[in-house]
Amino acid sequence: MNWYLTRVGQYALVLLAALTLNFFLPRAMPGSPLRFLAGEDVGLLSPDQVAEVRARYGLDRPLWKQYLNYLTSAFSGRWGYSYQMGQPVIRIILERLPWTLLLAGTSLLVASLFGIVFGAIASWYRGKIFDTGSLLAAIFVDSLPTFWLGMMLIAVFAVELRWLPIFGAVTPWGPKSGWPYFIDILRHLVLPATTLTLATLSGTFLVMRYAMLDVLGQDYIRTARSKGVRERQVLLKHATRNALLPVSTVIFLNLGYVVGGATVIETVFSYPGIGTLLFQAVLSRDYPVLQGAFLMLTVSVVGANILDDAVYPLLDPRVRRDAG
Amino acid sequence: MNRGGHAVVRALFATPAAALGTILLVSILLLAAFGSTFSPYDPTEVTGVPFSRPTQEHWLGTNDIGQDIFSEILWGARVSIMIGLIAAGAAITVGTLVGVVASFSGGWLDSLLMRIADVVLTIPFLPLAVVLAAFLGPSLWNTATVIAVVIWARPARIIRSQGMTIRSLTFVEAAVALGGKKTHLLIRHILPGVLPLALSQFILATSSSILTEASLAFLGLGDPIQKSWGTILFYAQARGAFLSGAWPWWVLPPGLLISATVLGFVLVGRSLEEILMPQLRQHGGNGG
Repeated sequence: MNWYLTRVGQYALVLLAALTLNFFLPRAMPGSPLRFLAGEDVGLLSPDQVAEVRARYGLDRPLWKQYLNYLTSAFSGRWGYSYQMGQPVIRIILERLPWTLLLAGTSLLVASLFGIVFGAIASWYRGKIFDTGSLLAAIFVDSLPTFWLGMMLIAVFAVELRWLPIFGAVTPWGPKSGWPYFIDILRHLVLPATTLTLATLSGTFLVMRYAMLDVLGQDYIRTARSKGVRERQVLLKHATRNALLPVSTVIFLNLGYVVGGATVIETVFSYPGIGTLLFQAVLSRDYPVLQGAFLMLTVSVVGANILDDAVYPLLDPRVRRDAG
Repeated sequence: MNRGGHAVVRALFATPAAALGTILLVSILLLAAFGSTFSPYDPTEVTGVPFSRPTQEHWLGTNDIGQDIFSEILWGARVSIMIGLIAAGAAITVGTLVGVVASFSGGWLDSLLMRIADVVLTIPFLPLAVVLAAFLGPSLWNTATVIAVVIWARPARIIRSQGMTIRSLTFVEAAVALGGKKTHLLIRHILPGVLPLALSQFILATSSSILTEASLAFLGLGDPIQKSWGTILFYAQARGAFLSGAWPWWVLPPGLLISATVLGFVLVGRSLEEILMPQLRQHGGNGG
């Protein structure tokens, strides 16, 4: 129970930190916070109008009241108003969220599958050519800027070979229902998802390989071998299953990284998710949207962590007993 | 040269990977230091026709307003690597300080510092960096500061665990038991014990700083006057390097240089880590 309380406390702290940062950033910068909250156009208003806008944003009240008010609004879904797009921030973000979840989810799934398989195989052939080769490949791929990897995939597969679309998540004025729509979405997903998968693959691979090497050195593996269990069975049933436990946590922990990677990769492909939104908000200096996107990405990562905490006891009965 | 120095030099050429890393690193540092003197043009001046293909005058063609891309890349080396080194230096200074203080003091101060580090590690670091950089505005110093703020936590945790190990060594415990002064313990035992690790962490942090800088610049947060390699790629993407077919000389070279730089730092950092700290072989990849 204690363990859960610590975790919940940690997540509450993360959310509070993100919210507090969002609250203080516009107010800590030189000049009026209105510039960030309501847009540069405020500079054109008369003093009376400025006072009126200040009052509307609650800036005439004491700081602690503003802070409490900010927190309650954030939790009730009032995340401010985009003066560039003329819409509430939360609505813009919820419209974009499914695309980011699709991209990040697909990549995480594929990267986890391949990372686990490659990691397990590399550990079986420790020190052999496959092992060394994949380790070198992992270091090499990790050195590539993810957005540049995406740009190169565009150059080769979209510009030169013309196999796949260059940008977006669907063809404008394309099919909107049935199989053609599904295929269209899939075709647009291939390149960004491949980029993000390649960028996250090495993390899972390295942890899986290490966990397998660790497990293969344990007593129960020796016991299994000495009582005549076939090598295949030892590797698949005894070793891989146990090595998967730490890997599952790393997969979820990777999510923060996946989300960060998604931000730049969406931008490369103009994929209409939260990452591209963040980018557009930077370019148009749309601070409420910028902060909203940041908050939503943080919430997603915390959500994934909570999911991990919920799933882990199902995978590992020992934790279940300890926590119960 | 003392024994530690020899160990470092040996580590730099211990394996083929380490040697490759060292060669990459030295060439890139030379490029950053002296590259701009070989620059044929001022990269901020318009010296050719926009979107010109590679020619005798412009080895890598020109960009959308006619600036020489080859010169931009030579000057960009310094910007990219300087930001990387400054950010990593700041992050490792803070990380070492936090790690040493946390491992040395224990108790509530340790818990507090590690809670803060965990919060920083949980918040998705690139979006955090984007928000901070957008508010601070584009400048080399701001970018370096932002990167330091988002990456100090991992080295802090690694250095703390090394500090804990040193504290639990018999001779250190004996010094504590005999009533050795705290400052003496800190300066004589813990700090020298973590410094080699801090060095390898600094080199690894430089690689992730360079990658993070490239990402921030690509998202339009770079200084438009002092272009880094990432800023060049931002303009290439925004101004139609793909539609104009200019990607082989506008997109390919800066990206290859970033990758070579990062690879050099990672290979050298890993080799140092393995030679200087053999007990610390395993911890995750580099961010960015």
